[in-house]
Amino acid sequence: MREEYRLKYLSNRVLLLGVVTLVYFVIEAVHNVLLGIRGEETVLQAGIYVLLALGYFMIVWFGIILPYRRSELLVHRFLDGYLTESRDFAEVFQSPSMKQQMDEIEKILRSPRMIDMNKRQAQYLALQNQINPHFLYNTLESIRGEALIAGLDSVADMTEALAKFFRYTITNVENLVTVQEELDNCETYFLIQKYRFGNRLRLHIHYDTEDWEDIMNCKIPKLTLQPILENSIIHGTELKIGTGNLRIQFERTVERLLIRISDDGVGMDEETLARLNRKLGRDGSVLIHGEERKGGIALGNVNSRIHLIFGEEYGLHVYSVPQKGTDVEITIPFAVDEKRMKASFM
Amino acid sequence: MRQEVFRMERVTYIEKGIKRLEDFNLQIYQGEIMGLIPINAHGLQELLLLMQTNMPLYDGHIYYCGERINSWKNPRRCANRIGIIDANSRLVEHMTVTDNIFVLRQGFRQEVIQNKLLRKQLEPFMSDIEVDIVADAYVDRLSAFERVVVELLRAVVAGYRLIVLNEISTVINGEELAKLYEIIHHYGRRGFSFLYVSPHLEEIMEVCDRVALLSNGRIQKVAQGEEMKAEIVEGYTLEFDRMVRYHMENRNQAVWQKKEILSFSHVTGEVLQDFNMKVYEGECLVIQNLDNQVFQDILQVLYGDRKVKKGNCFISGKRVQLPASKEIAVIAAEPTKTMIFGELSYMDNLCMGLSRRVPGVWKRNMRESVRKEYGPVLGEEVFGMPVERLSEKQKYQMVYTRVLLQKPRVVVCVQPFKGADLAHRVFVWKMMEMLLDKGMSVVILTINLADSMSLADRLIRIGKDGIIQEINREDFGSLSITAPWLSLYRTE
Repeated sequence: MREEYRLKYLSNRVLLLGVVTLVYFVIEAVHNVLLGIRGEETVLQAGIYVLLALGYFMIVWFGIILPYRRSELLVHRFLDGYLTESRDFAEVFQSPSMKQQMDEIEKILRSPRMIDMNKRQAQYLALQNQINPHFLYNTLESIRGEALIAGLDSVADMTEALAKFFRYTITNVENLVTVQEELDNCETYFLIQKYRFGNRLRLHIHYDTEDWEDIMNCKIPKLTLQPILENSIIHGTELKIGTGNLRIQFERTVERLLIRISDDGVGMDEETLARLNRKLGRDGSVLIHGEERKGGIALGNVNSRIHLIFGEEYGLHVYSVPQKGTDVEITIPFAVDEKRMKASFM
Repeated sequence: MRQEVFRMERVTYIEKGIKRLEDFNLQIYQGEIMGLIPINAHGLQELLLLMQTNMPLYDGHIYYCGERINSWKNPRRCANRIGIIDANSRLVEHMTVTDNIFVLRQGFRQEVIQNKLLRKQLEPFMSDIEVDIVADAYVDRLSAFERVVVELLRAVVAGYRLIVLNEISTVINGEELAKLYEIIHHYGRRGFSFLYVSPHLEEIMEVCDRVALLSNGRIQKVAQGEEMKAEIVEGYTLEFDRMVRYHMENRNQAVWQKKEILSFSHVTGEVLQDFNMKVYEGECLVIQNLDNQVFQDILQVLYGDRKVKKGNCFISGKRVQLPASKEIAVIAAEPTKTMIFGELSYMDNLCMGLSRRVPGVWKRNMRESVRKEYGPVLGEEVFGMPVERLSEKQKYQMVYTRVLLQKPRVVVCVQPFKGADLAHRVFVWKMMEMLLDKGMSVVILTINLADSMSLADRLIRIGKDGIIQEINREDFGSLSITAPWLSLYRTE
């Protein structure tokens, strides 16, 4: 017998009991209808039995089987790596303790600690090897001063950019920032990278002039764009021969802000792309399957923070064609008022 | 600010335990003509199904006109107000154009149908798009182009904000397609959105604002503007271009003898009048049908559904009855659906054509020798598989091998690329090239020239009045149509 049909499962025992009862009702109904036809019993009695059988079937179907199937689907999704909320089970719970269990799991997954963990990871990723930031600022300022005295303007500029980048990364990671601030940080980061890559790297920013002001004032989580831009350079254009073009495109709809960060680098094959998007769609994979996030750590982090702040409808999606490039699309609710936004989503 | 008309957000749809769509993202804006290129067709039918009907999703959400119409959390099995136009008519037969557009629409409340009023209501729509269709005409008598326009108008009148055009170039010819583009641009400007599904890159380039690549039930890439050309066309046509170039070089080197193999003399059908045509040995002749009724007439004559009223067909000078002749094989449109017999085994399916040539083929030893010869090519595993479970590629391979076994002198392929995704088109192309290499003449009956042009040695264009134009290969470059391989002929 196949594992899922074995009677060691309570669900199969209940199903068996239900089927036996239904068969009993059907036999009784048919028997009474036959008696009714022969005139040995009244038509009313036969009708009552038929209605009873039908009613029993309807109650079992709509009251037990369909909700049970739904709760099974939710468990399957959970095992598949999707985070499931307690309210998704609102229709019916298998038992009070199971409801309690679901609430507890949700509490852990949505706890401020979890959000904090992701923020800290973002900080860590941006800094890679974190050393005492204040000591670093001061040192960088000193280097800049020395460089200016020596007439090495490019060294001074580079040091200034690095200090600016570190300052932005370290301070107030928990805050939402404007797109303008994020974009400034991206440009600073790009400036640093330009010293390394020279003219091999180009950054293009595209937007609809009509919506530009609105877009720039839109609030997004801090360190959303730069980690993805960094990813595009490291995994996309750095491996490419010739000039690498990076593009940040902003688009606004009534309810959403779409940011697309594209590179024309080496791209990735279909299987890798599918795996990456699967990971981005299933926040629970790491927790449930203990999957290590090999690659795409930055993307995973940004995506998790967006999910935690705005909900699962928003987040990241990746498109890619081998040898043609990769696009990372970020979807965020369009809002310029942080307080209202926090009230709606947090 | 752009308005989203349709959005699929991280949709995963499972059917019979198979993931048909996975993490599928697609958004279409108001007034936009969005292209969709199926690199492979996995998930395409399911995508169209989900657009029409809200089936239960495994994950994700679908939004239409700002409203969430389907979600994995709340499955609602109901139809959506999205129009789909493809090769199959969705109009109600035996009813007029105005009945289909106005009377059958939801919310039509007039109890007495006033034809005069309906005709008047239709007039502004027709004049808007500069098309002249008789309002009282029965829809079953309309040409394919008129049918498409009526379906489009029906969707517009019903207030559908998104209309899907699925492989429409297999139904209407180049000139009509150009007119259709004008119409959809017109409605695009009025805020209607379109999803244009086609594996033909040049069509997408001509009409669409953005394009999405569908592969294995996922959107692999969305491109717009210059990206469309750089990433999509160059990325996906290079291999095909190489194949075509190689094929053209081979054909140029071949020594041609114009030996007549098949000829039609004064053939007259229902619409077709006094039709004369010759096919030469080993050539690839493309017959482009500019009129749908003529096309249907030719098909019915070929399939033996209708006897010719007048005229004869000759093979090497001998008079033959068309469908019965073993010298001619016909590969129907969408052969993986129309030429596969599910109740028969793979071997029976394969040997069908051979039985016309070798009556003893049903004997065990004969079939064994077929298996021995073709097993290494087709793969040994296919012989034990039920034919319905074969992959699309294996089905194509079986149909073309069946023809190869029959060894006809002329193979007529009816719209051979219809319904095939980008990957299968290349395969079908190779199969037809193989038939040509074996010395058979290949006649391609088509409406769209895009893929067929790359194989053609001669092109005949047929309209209501018979042959309109006959063009030899060396003059293909002068054709004023949009076909991807014309540039190769022009540089020859």
